Amino acid sequence: MTTKKKSFPMQRKSKRKIVLFVALLVLLSAFVGYRMWNKPHRDVKDAIAMKVNAAELYKILSEKNSPDKSAFNNQVLVVSGTVKQVLQNHQKQQVILLKTNIEEGAVNCTMEENFENVKTGDSVSIKGICIGYNAGDFDLPGDVFLIRCYHGD
Amino acid sequence: MAIKMKIMNIRNAVLVLFIFSVKPTFLAAQVYFTKNGSVSFFSKTILENITATNNETISVLNIQTGEMQFSLLNNGFHFPKAKMEEDFNEDYMESARFPRSTFKGIISGINKIDFANDGTWPVTVIGDLQVHGITKQISVPGKIVIKNGKINATATFSVLLKDYSIKIPSIVSNKVSEKIDISVNCLYQKK
Repeated sequence: MTTKKKSFPMQRKSKRKIVLFVALLVLLSAFVGYRMWNKPHRDVKDAIAMKVNAAELYKILSEKNSPDKSAFNNQVLVVSGTVKQVLQNHQKQQVILLKTNIEEGAVNCTMEENFENVKTGDSVSIKGICIGYNAGDFDLPGDVFLIRCYHGD
Repeated sequence: MAIKMKIMNIRNAVLVLFIFSVKPTFLAAQVYFTKNGSVSFFSKTILENITATNNETISVLNIQTGEMQFSLLNNGFHFPKAKMEEDFNEDYMESARFPRSTFKGIISGINKIDFANDGTWPVTVIGDLQVHGITKQISVPGKIVIKNGKINATATFSVLLKDYSIKIPSIVSNKVSEKIDISVNCLYQKK
């Protein structure tokens, strides 16, 4: 009799502990899931970045068998060069083309923040994520593309 | 007689040289391009609407032959959430394995379009869309607008993820639509 009376509250206590543990686990998973789902984009502005010259970057990424591509693709880079042209894309973002050694090829930078007073012929540094070289298979030299760009100084 | 033949040969050689020097310029004038065209996609479900845009799309348009080509780097799509972008590149598009999506097609009835004057022309483009390493022929209704000598091409169409072997994990299947709406907007400049 005495044993029965003692074991009943013990069982309830351990049950409560399990429920509490499961609830905590669910809450923690929900919190982690929420944080992961809403994690911010890569901080390009304050990222530590490799510095490279526009012509050099273009040469490395446009050559088919260049072994160094992975060091630049999907990385935040600071690219220095001479402004070839300043454009605006469909979403009214500023696009700055940096000269390379190829006449119709450029380092094509889509700006997240406008580069004030920039004009053709200026020497500039632009910081952004390098997504790679693209030319398709057209009879037209491709560009190296940098996205989410800022003033590189 | 021999002198006459020599003159004839020289004349022919000059003519051939002239034709070859003029031809590339003539062809180049028919080709328009952009390297900052825009391609967006939209997935709509009851739980979530997802939209992403790539503003670094290369496109070439030959107004004489009607040939139209597009190429974009998949990792250039920008999503509102970083996790969506990560899942898109790593799990769905496998961007490291299939870095590009391309389209090569022909605008039917290109000769009817008057590129010299302002106007809006509904068109149909038929061609091969390559996504996730799979190529399918599609027919896309679009519009060509000519304004102040500039050519703008737009199109909206839908694709099914299963046609391109893009698998969505069951845990998020109610958040990503099986049918994706794609819109294209390119403003061309002369090559």
